[in-house]
Amino acid sequence: MDTIINVAHGFGIALLPVNLVYCFIGVFIGTLVGVLPGIGPISAMSLLLPVTLSGTPESGIIMMAGIYYGSMYGGSTTSILVNIPGEAASVVTCIDGHQMAKQGRAGPALGISAFGSFIAGTFALIALMLVAPSLASVAIAFGPADYFSLMALGLVVLTFLTQGSMAKALLMACIGIVLGLIGLDSITAQPRLTFGRIELIDGIGLVPVVMGLFGVAEVLLNTEQIIKRDIINAKITQLFPSKEDWKASTGPVARGTVLGFFLGILPGGGAVISSFASYALEKRLSKTPERFGNGAIEGVAGPEAANNAAAGGAFIPLMTLGIPPNVVMALLLGAFVIHGLQPGPLLITQNPGLFWGIVASMYIGNVMLLVLNLPMIGMWVQLLKLPYNILFPLIVLFTIIGVYCSSNNVFDVYVMIAFGVIGYFMRKLGYEPAPLVLAFVLGPMLENNLRKSLILSQGDLMTFVTRPISATCLALAVVLLVGPLLPSLRKKRELVALDEGV
Amino acid sequence: MSNNSNVKFRFNNSELWGGLIGLGLGLFVIRSGLKLKLGTINDPGSGYVLFYTGILMCLFAASIIIASLSEGGPTFGSRWENARWTKPLIVIASLTAFAFSLDTFGFLLSSIPLMVLLLRLIDPVRWSLAIPIAVIAPLGMWWILKRLLLIQLPSGIFEIG
Repeated sequence: MDTIINVAHGFGIALLPVNLVYCFIGVFIGTLVGVLPGIGPISAMSLLLPVTLSGTPESGIIMMAGIYYGSMYGGSTTSILVNIPGEAASVVTCIDGHQMAKQGRAGPALGISAFGSFIAGTFALIALMLVAPSLASVAIAFGPADYFSLMALGLVVLTFLTQGSMAKALLMACIGIVLGLIGLDSITAQPRLTFGRIELIDGIGLVPVVMGLFGVAEVLLNTEQIIKRDIINAKITQLFPSKEDWKASTGPVARGTVLGFFLGILPGGGAVISSFASYALEKRLSKTPERFGNGAIEGVAGPEAANNAAAGGAFIPLMTLGIPPNVVMALLLGAFVIHGLQPGPLLITQNPGLFWGIVASMYIGNVMLLVLNLPMIGMWVQLLKLPYNILFPLIVLFTIIGVYCSSNNVFDVYVMIAFGVIGYFMRKLGYEPAPLVLAFVLGPMLENNLRKSLILSQGDLMTFVTRPISATCLALAVVLLVGPLLPSLRKKRELVALDEGV
Repeated sequence: MSNNSNVKFRFNNSELWGGLIGLGLGLFVIRSGLKLKLGTINDPGSGYVLFYTGILMCLFAASIIIASLSEGGPTFGSRWENARWTKPLIVIASLTAFAFSLDTFGFLLSSIPLMVLLLRLIDPVRWSLAIPIAVIAPLGMWWILKRLLLIQLPSGIFEIG
């Protein structure tokens, strides 16, 4: 009964005209960045982080969340029509989605992708409403040692899932922690690694780091190649899947939803891994696996449902524990902090309007996305024809303005450019930026909880293994760290390795 | 990447240099941690986490170096094989010039030339389109920020903007 009252309260907030406008802007921009290859939700969210300052916390976070799940919808359009993933979670959709489009079945592919996403998004929201309050009440009992171990596990999982050498990913995570510790020590107020620069006393901002590593570096990488686009020019008809299509897709959508939701909750997991896992699962369960890669609708329905369910599931660790499970959620945490709010076990009880308002807005956003992605498909197809030689300079301009507006400080623009160049060389040398960004956000919390737990336990390291949650997290982290040394586990890791830890 | 681009005991092994940079950074972090004081295990100081993170960095960097020496790694040249490497270089140079001029000349006088450069030098946009975009985009953003959102962008020594 309480849940129903809370949901009604949430809809009361989400349906306020201002919040509806922010929600629409969020899902629209999300679809836009999903459709456009080269810009992901991370770049868009960091660009718009300063804009959230102008409204209420609800409005800002509703918009940011909209960008995230909106990009999951939009990404599939590019994958199906152009064979270039609009964002990382849509890589798998290219395989069968583009084949379907080539066979003249772009309509059903886009349709099942949108409906599958809608069903999965709705399920994830219902699960979020049911799971989050219960988990938050349990999370109150978490001590600093549990938080430390959980964050350490999150970082290890992300490094495990990152493409390429695990040593490189771990090195990136360590550098992220160090960068996060720049500025005044929260316990002793001693300046650390500030090199006498007053601008560094408050530490380096999240926005310039992310915009540099993901926005500017992405543009630099894209300028290296001439991007060729093989856009399907045939008129897109029959967006509503046929009876046979639905019959083939029901199972994959259901399985993808459940799988995606649980993988989304896991620290370090997220939309990308869940879409790959769903594809692998459907191929394994199929009686005709040879159809996969040649336009099987199950290969579109499952992964698309999975990445949307994961996007919903990822809100659980952030809202209930205050721990972002991936880079996108780390940015959302940044939006909370900008408004003086701390997500965690007390958020739901202290700010019920905010929590339930966000949840309700996500449902409204899902409906908006269905309208945006099906009847307006022609508009997105036109947008895919926008030349990159005009788009990239505009992205650079927007990133500069976005970073400047986040702090009104030219120093942050320098930081962004520096991280853009560093990010470019990092990618060229095979160092992924995702572990660095997540560690950058988690670093100060990780240090704080480690020091708190050592002070509380009077230096007894056993505190990390005597508490069941902490011990379980550390044991899992050790397994994942040692795992790649075993050839069988190394092979599995290579199979699920991601481009971006989102 | 072709197999013959993999080198072991060569100075242009990019993996080796990546590891060495990581090792250098790790040593710097250890030194910074020590300077900040480690404290004790029951009362860790400001440098405690930095120090141990630095040690981990050195360990991971060492493993990258060892792997690069035993298994080899791609050369710097092969990393940029078939890539138009001059294009990112142009963008980096333009952004650096922009960074240096932003405070002195202000947002408008710095960003319009930056846009012209980017529009003309990456994949050249014709002049008749490049100039209007390079002027209208920064000017439009400046107007929105200054008039609608009341955000002041740097105006530089000429106080334009």
